[in-house]
Amino acid sequence: MKNTDMVVVGGGAAGMAASIEAACAGAEVVLIDENERPGGQLFKQIHKFFGSEVHRAGIRGIHIGRDLLKEAEEAGVQVRLNTVVYGFFPDKCLGLMCNQHTEELQAKMIILATGASENVLAFPGWTLPGVMGAGAAQTLINIHRVLPGRSVLMVGAGNVGLIVSYQLLQAGAEVVAVVEGLPTISGYGVHASKIRRAGVPIFTGHTILRAEGKESVERVVIAAVDKSWQPLAGTEKAFEVDTVCLAVGLSPLAELAWMAGCQFIYIPEIGGWVPVHDENMETSVPGIYVAGDLAGIEEASTAMEEGRLAGLAAAEALGCLSSKDGRARKAEVWERLAALRIGSFGHGRALAMEKILRAKGVG
Amino acid sequence: MRIDDHPILGKAERGRSITLTVDGSPVEAFEGEPIAVALMASGHRVFRYTTKQKGPRGVFCALGRCTDCIMIVDGQANVRTCVTPARDGMVIEKQFGRGPREEKG
Amino acid sequence: MKVDDLIICRCEEVTEGEIKEAIRLGLTTMSEVKWLTRAGMGLCQGKTCGRLVMSILVRETNQPPDEVKPPTFRPPTRVMALGALANGEKETE
Repeated sequence: MKNTDMVVVGGGAAGMAASIEAACAGAEVVLIDENERPGGQLFKQIHKFFGSEVHRAGIRGIHIGRDLLKEAEEAGVQVRLNTVVYGFFPDKCLGLMCNQHTEELQAKMIILATGASENVLAFPGWTLPGVMGAGAAQTLINIHRVLPGRSVLMVGAGNVGLIVSYQLLQAGAEVVAVVEGLPTISGYGVHASKIRRAGVPIFTGHTILRAEGKESVERVVIAAVDKSWQPLAGTEKAFEVDTVCLAVGLSPLAELAWMAGCQFIYIPEIGGWVPVHDENMETSVPGIYVAGDLAGIEEASTAMEEGRLAGLAAAEALGCLSSKDGRARKAEVWERLAALRIGSFGHGRALAMEKILRAKGVG
Repeated sequence: MRIDDHPILGKAERGRSITLTVDGSPVEAFEGEPIAVALMASGHRVFRYTTKQKGPRGVFCALGRCTDCIMIVDGQANVRTCVTPARDGMVIEKQFGRGPREEKG
Repeated sequence: MKVDDLIICRCEEVTEGEIKEAIRLGLTTMSEVKWLTRAGMGLCQGKTCGRLVMSILVRETNQPPDEVKPPTFRPPTRVMALGALANGEKETE
């Protein structure tokens, strides 16, 4: 069986950042991604990021993805694409599959950065062609340059729903409305303003009742809901659309962490079941770290910082960094993470992180 | 419904033109793009019918996880068309349940 | 459409009614519901319906959400041809 210093599973923002830090510190790093090309969500993000210069504010996700990939290659990271980690075996042994061939790879340190997947909302007609995840629509328009349909109903007014609505408009689709079950939108105001200015109504306190059509979506019916999400009679509105996008949250892709025996904690605000980790991003299993959306749904900027943190911590544990250097470098990242988790949006996440740290302390 | 020009992404760069056969008819595609993309671009939205309810299904997650987009490709069933690159001459068929449409009679 | 006719597991076409029936029979965990109804045993291995089944369980059994864990995860994380595990080329679904 082959072995290596460090395996990073998942080549998105967090995974690439982790690989770069660890490889620059001198570790032998293998970065594994199941897709044809790494970058995860970054290659779908055509809008400009917020934040400070170190978080590459004003740069589009697609360009950040491209830059990180170059840095990883220059740092000597071994990138294995089209490769799935299908199993987690004792002694930090991973089962890899590529093109119907399997192999095992053992690592001293493992960083799981497998990201998150879209949640779904079930309603009559949800299995009809034309109903898809908002992320799915984003993949189609921004990566594959094909429209999912001509007219869209967006379900969910969090950041994903608002951003993808705008991107659908940029791609040439019509967004007839956004529906959001909560009384207020949960995404950033700046995104909501952009689509409102473009004439897209946002119906808060509304949900989708059903999608109708013979072979694919032809029409949807929405309605206002009360506090218990029950539809209010007489408030139905129908729209002729051929596409429904579901932007109803993300959940960590945590199968490998469960398989590895990591302890989990349930925090709905950041995606539900998340692996418990300490301030070094290390889980309850020594030598296994987590970073990015897997460790709690957040943003690309925090994903990159958590990736850096995990990479540094794992490199230090390998002996590639002295504990003095490790501490100093990690302190910089902790400071940047704290700065990202301020304000009304960041505060909730900061509280969630505190819950996680307390759980690790106890467990 | 291809997006050839885009305000941010600019002009689309695609592989060479190829031809797929979809349920017996030719469909233009670009080499290397996911089969599902070529189908959606040419107006095909129904990729298969389910076993129990014979319900139509198409693209749902677009990244190879949900398996709703599976079709029979070059005779092999359960191929996830949203993550499988199109190649010249590929034969694509709608999947009915677990295989091709049953022969009647 | 009756609430119970709503499809929850897209792969195996398991309805909300079938899941509620399993719960009425006394099943209380994700694993048990999966084994009886087949929800989560299709091609996607529960990746799509997992959270939906979890929320139905929470609602119908009044368990707090942090006590309803996903079913045990065993390799492989993806449906694979048996031949792949033997490093062979032959498909043996």
